Amino acid sequence: MNKQEVFADGFWHNNTIFVQLLGMCPLLGVTTSAENGFWMGAATLLVLLGSNLVVSLVRGVIPKNVRIPAYITIIAAFVTVVGMAMNAWMHDMYMILGLFIPLIVVNCAILGRAEAFASKNSVSAAVVDALAVGLGFTFALLLLGGVRELLGQGELFGFAVFGESYPDVLMFILPPGAFIALGFILAGVNLINRRLKARSDAAKLAMIRAEAVRVNATAVAVEGA
Amino acid sequence: MRFDREQLRMVFALFVVAAIAAILLGLTDMLTREPIAEAQKQALHRALEQVLPAHGNDPQAQVVNVAGTAIYPARVHGALAALAWEVIAPDGYSGRIRILVGVHPDGHVLAIRITDHKETPGLGDGIVGNQPWLDSFRDRSLDNVRWQVKKDGGDFDQFTGATITPRAVVRAVKAALLFYRHNRAAIVARLNGEAKALQTAGSNGSEGGDE
Repeated sequence: MNKQEVFADGFWHNNTIFVQLLGMCPLLGVTTSAENGFWMGAATLLVLLGSNLVVSLVRGVIPKNVRIPAYITIIAAFVTVVGMAMNAWMHDMYMILGLFIPLIVVNCAILGRAEAFASKNSVSAAVVDALAVGLGFTFALLLLGGVRELLGQGELFGFAVFGESYPDVLMFILPPGAFIALGFILAGVNLINRRLKARSDAAKLAMIRAEAVRVNATAVAVEGA
Repeated sequence: MRFDREQLRMVFALFVVAAIAAILLGLTDMLTREPIAEAQKQALHRALEQVLPAHGNDPQAQVVNVAGTAIYPARVHGALAALAWEVIAPDGYSGRIRILVGVHPDGHVLAIRITDHKETPGLGDGIVGNQPWLDSFRDRSLDNVRWQVKKDGGDFDQFTGATITPRAVVRAVKAALLFYRHNRAAIVARLNGEAKALQTAGSNGSEGGDE
């Protein structure tokens, strides 16, 4: 796989949330607003970058039998670093996300990337993979947070979109709203993917037809000669 | 017992990973310890400014500890104008609610502020930004109000769909006032002692005055 394929795969075709449906705990817990979703995604992205980078660096050095505890230790270290940094320099956001930051350790998507990709690929490929998967995760959290904030409170990034008199819609503020909104987003993603597939199928079909016409023409020419 | 090379290699690999992680964490702690303390101090400062009346001292610098509670005094021209301390409502809807209570020396509430909570977004967390409701505690003392939500026969509003959170807050603020009633003598004695110490320090030429 080249770097573009790695990126497209991590960001879209194998998106952690939309396709693999992994890491649902932070997804449901913190996506009450676009801002919360974005920073949770950013924290996860940083952890993923660090863990993919280090796991790729030490691939082949860590004995197979102890690789999982080694990866978990690496991931937990980065999560703690990100948590402390956030506490120091983004104190207010840390107070909101608080509980969910340490939980990044058990986000199976991160261990999944370490095990399935970083431990088998070059450092540069692992970094691209981390960026793609992390940005895809952030995008998903931002989108879901935005939808819930908009429908639940009539705001986006704290700005009133539907006017001040918008009544809070509790269903979208509470966790069930996350499930419902996610369901509609997944339907939308599937629709887009189907369109994309139909388009690429049509392109392939056109290519095959063109090829067939060319072959026919050659055959006719050969016969004529 | 003998270890083969493979086992030793495993132990060594995990040891190195853990050691590097420990060094990384130690370095991060060194870097972030002061900013974290500073951020917490700033957050407390903002909350204190909101529950205390205008004052000339630094309440955080003059904190005293009575019965395990940190009490922040506000002084005007050296005279005690208000006190503030944090109470924890252990019975919120989801976890503890921390409330900073500003109290007049005679024992009535000046203002309250929620400093930390994990209540449901949109339901219980309405209390954090609901200024009219937080203001309904102003001037309340143990004797001039029934310390319960209206649903329970008291004087404080609850919210549609959220009774547990206001109930917990009302109970905690009442507990704060009861704490003051029981420990008033000790608190005042400690604060006066601090004030004397400050004056002594001031007359010695070092800073520490109240203005």
